Amino acid sequence: MAVLQINQAEKSYGKVKALKGVSFEVPEGSVFGILGPNGSGKTTLLSIVLDVLSADKGDFTWFGQPGSPENRKRIGSLLETPNFYHYMSAVNNLQITRSISERGSREDIDEVLKRVSLFERRNSRFSTFSLGMKQRLAIAAALLGRPRVLVLDEPTNGLDPVGILEIRQLIQQLHKEGFTIIMASHLLDEVEKVCTHVAILKLGEVITSGAVDDVLIDEDIIEIASSTPEQLKAIIQGMPGLTQLKEDGNILNLYFKKGEASPEQINKYCFDNGIILEHLKIRKKRLEAKFFELTGN
Amino acid sequence: MIKVLRTEWLKIKNYWAFWGVMIMTSLAYPGINYMFWYEYHNIVKKESATGKIAKMLLGNPFVFPETFHTTAFFSSIFVFIPAIVVIMLITNEYTYKTNRQNIIDGWSRQQFLAGKFMNVLLITLLVTLLYAIIAFVIGFVASPQPLVKDAFSEVKYIGLFALQSFSQLSIAFFIGFLIRRSFIALSVFVFYFIILENFAVAILKVKANDIGKYLPLEISDRLIPIPRFIGRLDEKQYAQWLSEINTHVWYTIILTAAIWGLCYYINKKRDL
Repeated sequence: MAVLQINQAEKSYGKVKALKGVSFEVPEGSVFGILGPNGSGKTTLLSIVLDVLSADKGDFTWFGQPGSPENRKRIGSLLETPNFYHYMSAVNNLQITRSISERGSREDIDEVLKRVSLFERRNSRFSTFSLGMKQRLAIAAALLGRPRVLVLDEPTNGLDPVGILEIRQLIQQLHKEGFTIIMASHLLDEVEKVCTHVAILKLGEVITSGAVDDVLIDEDIIEIASSTPEQLKAIIQGMPGLTQLKEDGNILNLYFKKGEASPEQINKYCFDNGIILEHLKIRKKRLEAKFFELTGN
Repeated sequence: MIKVLRTEWLKIKNYWAFWGVMIMTSLAYPGINYMFWYEYHNIVKKESATGKIAKMLLGNPFVFPETFHTTAFFSSIFVFIPAIVVIMLITNEYTYKTNRQNIIDGWSRQQFLAGKFMNVLLITLLVTLLYAIIAFVIGFVASPQPLVKDAFSEVKYIGLFALQSFSQLSIAFFIGFLIRRSFIALSVFVFYFIILENFAVAILKVKANDIGKYLPLEISDRLIPIPRFIGRLDEKQYAQWLSEINTHVWYTIILTAAIWGLCYYINKKRDL
């Protein structure tokens, strides 16, 4: 069963159409990345499924049920910015999260604060926190009581490189433990490293969505190199099934239709034509390249 | 609802401004009553003819049962002090965007508004309790023993004070709820409370057959008319004000219900 299903969601701000009939579903146990440039509608979409905004058209379901307060209590969420009472300490702010969401115990508050390295500052007022610490507290609030679904909007915002690495490892760990994580980001590298599924948004529309490998791979790319590059290039151009050939220094990138490239056949073809390969590697198209290709940037 | 109240208490109990304003209120309410009581004693204790005439004209506004009316009137002047904290408690939610977070964490929009309603109710109860204590303390100290038979006949002013405070604090809440920014909301409320409406009521009384009595704050101001000793200056007008109290109870209930109804509607429709 899909954890979240969105059907034809539309939202306008005056004349600006922020979402134009967005639909996709998030499978249980996945790390689902919502990718898109600034203004593509990522936060608007998450705001709708968390009932902060009302959709003009369309609907959504959580766990097969229409959105409701009871459903939201089962979801740990960080939307846009860390929102806490500035005059209260980290612990007291999490007490409010706990009181509203009915998730976790008093001991769990200490545990999540330790998990995001804020335990030592648990009694400091929120207003004294740095941007990174505020972000960590928001992640702690989302983790409180171990909800099975997390919605994280730009979770690494404001974090230093160590913090980013820790959050990435945390997401990977939670994924192994069976959590479903929905993550909006414009950091392609981040999404590529942790997500199993992705939806790419552009100007309020879903351009593509699905498992990361399915989205990224629409053609096979094989890298090859030998000590005689000119001879290799001349011979490989006659290889059956090759659709495109690109040079990258001494390395040749061979493009085939999806599922048609065979490293074994390439190796054999070269060998039969008197060339010994010194480099042979299957290459995935990077998400960054795919993203720019799809969004036309 | 108990859970909502408990959560609101978590927000309030750590908010220094709440306690600061409550301390100010606890000083202002007894302070103004003591000031008038003290002045009254200074005037009537004079052995001169002036003192005797003043005592005859004023009576004793601080003995039972008049103390309920007199202290309610003086205390109600300072309702703008607890109104400050009412406005701060709602505008803080918008400033910190915690209103969104409360919904994200699992409250319905109605629960969020119910929490704020309970805040206003709680503050109303606190200021009413404070006023009632002042009324009883002054009454027992000022009244000759044994107490007169109808000593508590004016106890209805406790209810009227509670209704007036709740209505006027609801108006303060509404301004904060609509404007969302604390400084602007506070400025608008104080300007309207202290200057604009008083000016409008005075002008309309002369120019437009007193229709100023239907202005939002004046509707509930008339639940507690001027004390009897001032009313003696114009007995006919005073009698009319007393006779209109019951009508203004209904006006106040209708207005306050309309304010919260409008808040409910806006809160349901508005994007957070």
